[in-house]
Amino acid sequence: MSPMFEGPCQQSTGFLFSHDCGRPAAASCMKCGKRVCDMHLTALGAELVCSTCAEDDDEEDGDSDSGDPDSAPDEDDPSYYYKDYGYYGPGSAWGRGKDPNDFTEADGESLRHEEDASFEEDLGGS
Amino acid sequence: MAAFRWLIYALGGGMGHLTRASALARAAARQGHSVTLLINSPFAPGVPLEAVLGPGVEVLRLDAALDKRAVREVVECCLQDVRPDVFIVDTFPRGLGGELVSLLPGLRARKVLVHRDLNPAYLERFDVARAVDAFDLLLVPGEDAPLAGHARAVRTSPWLLLEAGELLPRAEARARLGVPAGDARPVVAVMGCGTHSEVEEAGTLAARLHSLLGEAARVRWLVPPGQATALPVAAEPLHVPVWPAVAVLPGVDVLVGAGGYNTVNEARATGTPFVALARPRLYDRQALRLRAEELAGSVEALLEKAVLLARRPPARGPRRYASGTGDAVALIERLRLNA
Repeated sequence: MSPMFEGPCQQSTGFLFSHDCGRPAAASCMKCGKRVCDMHLTALGAELVCSTCAEDDDEEDGDSDSGDPDSAPDEDDPSYYYKDYGYYGPGSAWGRGKDPNDFTEADGESLRHEEDASFEEDLGGS
Repeated sequence: MAAFRWLIYALGGGMGHLTRASALARAAARQGHSVTLLINSPFAPGVPLEAVLGPGVEVLRLDAALDKRAVREVVECCLQDVRPDVFIVDTFPRGLGGELVSLLPGLRARKVLVHRDLNPAYLERFDVARAVDAFDLLLVPGEDAPLAGHARAVRTSPWLLLEAGELLPRAEARARLGVPAGDARPVVAVMGCGTHSEVEEAGTLAARLHSLLGEAARVRWLVPPGQATALPVAAEPLHVPVWPAVAVLPGVDVLVGAGGYNTVNEARATGTPFVALARPRLYDRQALRLRAEELAGSVEALLEKAVLLARRPPARGPRRYASGTGDAVALIERLRLNA
């Protein structure tokens, strides 16, 4: 591994609580320079970019497509009325089969550390 | 009235479960019942429970370090040995470690839950409402609680360990707090008894108040008996081992503490001017228990309020000293007779 990529992946992830991914970085994003791991590396044409830059690119594409009658949003689609509706609207990373906001094991761990996690475990906590 | 065997389950840290359950145990023993009190507070070894509760109460002190499995084994053995007519559980219908869920269905005793405030997240996550259905009676002593509307729930006044006539008269209470006769300065008592570290923090607060107030007041640091303290015995502010603290409150002009069940109810019952921090707890919410005029949002605010109260001590509030333990004993006796 090149020294340039040493260190943990800096991609933010998490469904409920945003946190750095933390896996070993494999490359740097060719748009923003952030260290990213394999999982958060996306091919955008000839460039390898991080999930965030890939999403930004998708949104720009979505805007530029607005004049195309074939790609006009459906009025029945909630995202037609609400900008940035959910994570699953048109142009989301979900459509590519890789959602950077997906629930991860790290999120599960963070839930277990919520204040209620030690109910019936911390016998001196009452 | 027939005498029954009572087993009171009061597992839990701090002084709260221990003191509230002691109030019920003492009242029951005075009615002739045979009471076993099961506790595991880390403070329990130093507290003179037997002296206060009398010969009708047997106290079983579990090691606070026991894990869930060991606690379950001990509780199961205790139920088999005592074979109680009534089994009273303080606060945790599932047991402190969830061990009662499997033990209650096979228990022939009448079951009573002492129900106080509980964290809604705990209620939801562990389906506490369902666990409560295993009980024949819910006693709600002196404060609102999430399942107080249950069909078998009955509210009582707060439970206080001592009868009104057992509180020390003011002069005796001040003497017990180390204030010489003839010294008319107000007494500020600082108390923390949720954890050992909170006891030490109360000592730090007492030292700061002593520094801020100088000769304007006498500051006292009330500690649970048996608690090792960092200060030498003779240093000001004096630390005074005392339990139950309510005994000396007639001699206290300002009480500084936290929002635990007993501290709050004892201060209000004796009309003692009171200011407190809401300490974080796993199961109850001290901020909800405290009134706006009692609550300090930070240590600095607490000190400021305490200094103001000490410099211009307000008249003591109305003394409405009425313990609900007598009603609780009567309700439990009736339940047993109807069995």
